[in-house]
Amino acid sequence: MKKNLLIMFLLLIAAAALPFIVSEYGINLAAEICIMAIFAMSLGLIMGYAGMVSLGHAAFFGIGSYTVTILGSHLSNFYLLILGSIVLSGLVALITGAIFIRTSKFYFLMITLAFGQLLFALTWQLKDLTGGADGMKISSTMNLGFGDIVSPLGIYFVMAGAAILVYIFLRFFVHSPAGKIIKGVMENESRMKALGYDPRIYKLLAYSVSGALAGFSGSLYGYFNLFISPDLTNWMFSGQVMIMVIIGGVGTLIGPAIGAGLFIFLQNFISTYTERWPLIMGLLLVILVIVGKGGIIHWFDLLRSKIFYRRSQKRMEYAQNHAQKEEVTN
Amino acid sequence: MSLLKVGNISKSFKTLQVLQNVSVEVQPGERHVIIGPNGAGKTTLFNCITNVLSIDSGTVYLEGQEISHLPSRKLVHLGMSRTFQKNNLFGNLTVEENLHLALTSTKSYRYQIFNALLKHEDLKKDTDEVLEQWGISSRRNVKVNFLSYGEQRLLEVLLAMAAKPKLLLLDEPTSGMSPAETIQTAEMIKKLPRSVSILIIEHDMEVVFSIADKITVLHHGEVILSGTPEEVRNNEQVRQIYFGGGAKAHA
Repeated sequence: MKKNLLIMFLLLIAAAALPFIVSEYGINLAAEICIMAIFAMSLGLIMGYAGMVSLGHAAFFGIGSYTVTILGSHLSNFYLLILGSIVLSGLVALITGAIFIRTSKFYFLMITLAFGQLLFALTWQLKDLTGGADGMKISSTMNLGFGDIVSPLGIYFVMAGAAILVYIFLRFFVHSPAGKIIKGVMENESRMKALGYDPRIYKLLAYSVSGALAGFSGSLYGYFNLFISPDLTNWMFSGQVMIMVIIGGVGTLIGPAIGAGLFIFLQNFISTYTERWPLIMGLLLVILVIVGKGGIIHWFDLLRSKIFYRRSQKRMEYAQNHAQKEEVTN
Repeated sequence: MSLLKVGNISKSFKTLQVLQNVSVEVQPGERHVIIGPNGAGKTTLFNCITNVLSIDSGTVYLEGQEISHLPSRKLVHLGMSRTFQKNNLFGNLTVEENLHLALTSTKSYRYQIFNALLKHEDLKKDTDEVLEQWGISSRRNVKVNFLSYGEQRLLEVLLAMAAKPKLLLLDEPTSGMSPAETIQTAEMIKKLPRSVSILIIEHDMEVVFSIADKITVLHHGEVILSGTPEEVRNNEQVRQIYFGGGAKAHA
């Protein structure tokens, strides 16, 4: 626990110090990374803790961003708009999830993909409401109650704060009784039924929370980018966030956030050199997935055990001795 | 009143009749063993009682309440738990975490999404109690996949016991065990408190006769005989099934 607190503290300092090191472009990039980190963590929750792999998660991101944009032309309260998009995307997740969770594995993947594309088609077709393929401009500005926040630095701090809040919330969530049970359902659904649980309730809970958080990240993206288009609900975007989760590390909370950071950084970095950036990006991802089995997060563990080599070696020796003693007593 | 009353249930898979008018009664506190050659329909009977498979006809009563149409998860809360013939555990979780999951199923906070699970003192206490009672405290942080087979079989029973059932259904608790482990398991079953009634499927005849109050013999989906161990031992038809009539002796 102490180790975790230390890491948290270091991350916080890094997040606070970052804007004073990098340029304005870097600050913008960092803000985008924070938003994508929330989105990736939301998908990471159902992928890594509930075993549900969705290829339609961008739908909730889209619902969030379109909610703040469409409602934002009538209403300017930042908190109400954000809350509205969280509730709406959570509700859509709850209702659609009630149907989707009856399927599993490939069928779940397919049905979420279909749902995502359905929403994509809707945002494309409902021209009067969404502006269709032309997209929409967001009219309201971010105001947390002490003046408009328009500077990149201000926006970055809001996004970083949001990402940290979501991370803390998810930490509580996965350690809660319901969170542990969700993981149990992923491990062995039939046994959970035999133990007296209703797996559907817990899967639906995870899916709804995940959808609501994806909606949250979408609404923040609206404020960040000031322009949204149907592409935000497209399955390509769902695929991208899935890549972030996988390269970061499925089954951890911080992994997907790290994956999001790396993905966005690489995407921007490589595209400054060549227009053919997807080609290089794809190659890099293939290498990352092959070399970094279990995600980049595990490289950090490896690094740590190298740095604290002696201590971890002592611990190993202790564990081995202990195991031998146990065998003797048995 | 009998605790469990299975009345004339039948089950067929397409044209194959697996159970035919099977009736079994379990009295409170009783150790009731079901024996029968392979393919007699023993596990199917368990699956029908717990409504994992739906029955074609007949009734199942638990403490006078009809349960044949209740989903299996609800039966746990009515006081009936089961184990599985093949280990059905959470292999990637530790022994302790397995017990946590089993013990939480009857707790009121099982839907909470805040307040870490491990902050609940009663859960810690219950877990420690189980671990100590069965002498596996030293294994608490071991992943279940790394346990010995015998330990896994024990955990299988402990998970079912976690909900403090009135009736425990044990599906071949000694299957695949070494002779030493089998003896240990029989001792363990004998140690279970009499407040729990047990319906148990078992192949090992030594185990059967050492624990049974009552034995029901199933053959080709029909009840041949239901009686005391003495009656079963002396029954000519049962001998025929196990030792003659072309059927190979099992166990």
